[in-house]
Amino acid sequence: FQDQAEQFFRSGHTNNWAVLVCTSRFWFNYRHVANTLSVYRSVKRLGIPDSHIVLMLADDMACNPRNPKPATVFSHKNMELNVYGDDVEVDYRSYEVTVENFLRVLTGRIPPSTPRSKRLLSDDRSNILIYMTGHGGNGFLKFQDSEEITNVELADAFEQMWQKRRYNELLFIIDTCQGASMYERFYSPNIMALASSQVGEDSLSHQPDLGIGVHLMDRYTFYVLEFLEEIHPASQTNMNDLFQVCPKSLCVSTPGHRTDLFQRDPQNVLITDFFGSVRKVEITTEAVSLDRDVAGFESKFLEEELATEPLKYAEQLPVAQIIHQKPKQKDWHPPGGFILGLWALIIMVFFKTYGIKHMKHVF
Amino acid sequence: MAAPLVLVVLAAVTVRAALYRSSLAAFIAERVEVASPLNAWKRVVEGLALLDLGVSPYSGAIFHETPLIIYLFHFLIEYAELVFMITDVLTAVALYLAIQDFNKVVFKKQKLLIELDKYAPDVAELIQTPMEMHYIPLKVALFYLLNPYTVMSCVAKSTCAINNSVIAFFILATIKGSAFLSAVFLALATYQSLYPLTLFAPALLYLLQRQFIPIKLKSKSFWLYTMQYASLYLCSLVVIICLSFFLLNSWDFIPSVYGFILSVPDLTPNIGLFWYFFAEMFEHFSLFFVCVFQINVFFYTIPLAIKLKEHPVFFMFVQLAIISIFKSYPTVGDVALYMAFLPVWSHLYRFLRNIFILSCVLIFCSFLFPVLWHLWIYAGSANSNFYYAITLTFNIGQILLISDYFYAFLRREYYLTHGLHLTRQDGTEAMLVLK
Repeated sequence: FQDQAEQFFRSGHTNNWAVLVCTSRFWFNYRHVANTLSVYRSVKRLGIPDSHIVLMLADDMACNPRNPKPATVFSHKNMELNVYGDDVEVDYRSYEVTVENFLRVLTGRIPPSTPRSKRLLSDDRSNILIYMTGHGGNGFLKFQDSEEITNVELADAFEQMWQKRRYNELLFIIDTCQGASMYERFYSPNIMALASSQVGEDSLSHQPDLGIGVHLMDRYTFYVLEFLEEIHPASQTNMNDLFQVCPKSLCVSTPGHRTDLFQRDPQNVLITDFFGSVRKVEITTEAVSLDRDVAGFESKFLEEELATEPLKYAEQLPVAQIIHQKPKQKDWHPPGGFILGLWALIIMVFFKTYGIKHMKHVF
Repeated sequence: MAAPLVLVVLAAVTVRAALYRSSLAAFIAERVEVASPLNAWKRVVEGLALLDLGVSPYSGAIFHETPLIIYLFHFLIEYAELVFMITDVLTAVALYLAIQDFNKVVFKKQKLLIELDKYAPDVAELIQTPMEMHYIPLKVALFYLLNPYTVMSCVAKSTCAINNSVIAFFILATIKGSAFLSAVFLALATYQSLYPLTLFAPALLYLLQRQFIPIKLKSKSFWLYTMQYASLYLCSLVVIICLSFFLLNSWDFIPSVYGFILSVPDLTPNIGLFWYFFAEMFEHFSLFFVCVFQINVFFYTIPLAIKLKEHPVFFMFVQLAIISIFKSYPTVGDVALYMAFLPVWSHLYRFLRNIFILSCVLIFCSFLFPVLWHLWIYAGSANSNFYYAITLTFNIGQILLISDYFYAFLRREYYLTHGLHLTRQDGTEAMLVLK
């Protein structure tokens, strides 16, 4: 019982959010929409409701005039899996998927008229999954073929989220060419990042479907999807298994991951901590005392994990300093020697031109 | 003449005060035609704020004014508007007194030349009379104070007004004949913006003329006087620069002020010719062209000195105009200063050939500057070429104006000595052509 109770305190989050972004438009980028929709399906299946998912798709493939099978988006050839379905809720569609909107969603700086479905209403106990796919390069990700978001902007947005206490832990997955460059610049705590390829490598697509005429999925997301199909809400699979997904033999590119900013050991992080919204509910008839033992275990657990000082949110305003501030004084004054020299010169010039006879009027 | 001058001064002060209180003040203060990186008020305030924070104002690329300006405004910053209004009034009064004296000198010289029979017999209509010269000083003060360029420059609180004031005092001191004061004021003007160095030549010529020293290269008294004046000027300049060192205990101000003026690193658009050229130039040519452009300002001094050695005040006017056209960061305040002198040469009106079209060009360009700026920067439907075209046209207008006055002046001098009705050898009417 105590073990199960202790597991309750393991991860520290109380709600899950997902921000899934596909940044490419045009029919031949079908696979990016399929990528995002596959992750959407998995995340919904594992329990995150639509109200906690912000889905941004830059183009509409299901109703594209070139789609031979309208109202469907397939992720596997021979049309095995339709990831579009009946209950897809796209929050940002078509031209609304811009760098500005994406950053506004992340940082919460949204105009008051935005509907709830378009907001990321996370708090400091939220675990957020951010999945991005599209075309990218070394240090940037292309949006809509007209603008880019850089890794620095993304890192700064995450820092804003940290300072505004908008996440507990963040998992960032990116499936683009040279994806590892996007997580290079992160500097906020509690972020774990995965990418489909290293800097200098391209992420490749999986397989074309001759019926639809385009590539249906990217390799990395295809194998991640296969991996996620095995996960159910009660799985104990941890992040280390996710890091092993799609080795170079299958993916041709080398997937990368970054865990140095993350407080917990990836071994102890469940997949469902990010991909699902898992509530462990056990109905008992006995009372369990949680005060001493579990707290003791918790502190022991904390001591093991956090050898360094626990993270604190920065003090937003140094109130004590502000209320006792004295008014600013002008600190600089011209040196006395300068003033003396200047006025001596001026007086000399005056007397040289007007004659010495005026001196007696001065004294 | 004091009462009309006082009236003019009051009117000017009222106009400026009214504009200070209106919303136009902020709009004018940020116009690039009025405020350049050298003399913008925003930068003076920024420099003083940096000083209060304990940082040298010359440490960045913000502040390019001299330490004496820091000293002046450290105590007077709350009364800045008053300071600039008083500066403008002082400039106008100085110009008024200078031109009054100059008219007396001109008249005396004219009388002397008539008595010496140097003038041709039929030039009675060309000779200036005291009647028509009576109102010229007032007109000069009026032209300076109520010129829209001056008013805008004052409302924008650009330190160009201070530079104009120092140059006006220099002109007053020169015309009064005091070599010492003239050297001191010229040193102050050069200290603030480098280009008044070229005014050394006309001032020297005027003072030599006043002392009746003939301008011959072999004459010993000529060289003696030149050396005296030059040493006065250089000593004052050195003393002022050394004094400025003691303000901040560093020589930082020299690259910030003079290095900035000479090397033109800031290419913000203005009404001058430097910015566009250097914006599109390759790096390895920029040093060469900077040298060429800067030499262009100083280049006209010697030829003009040779041609205009009998008329140093006109030389001073042309030199002032050349400085304000070709300097690295011109503003309309500089234009206003030489335009104030135009009433002095109003007797040349009958010889000016293009005055109508040139005044139209200048007025239209002044109106087109803000229009094309708006189209370029805000509407986005024009580009820098449009604004540069207006800059070019404005400067061409100014250059043609000056050369027109130059031609008219020389033509009048020729007519004075050779008579109004020129005939060729065979007796037919001849035309005077400037070669």
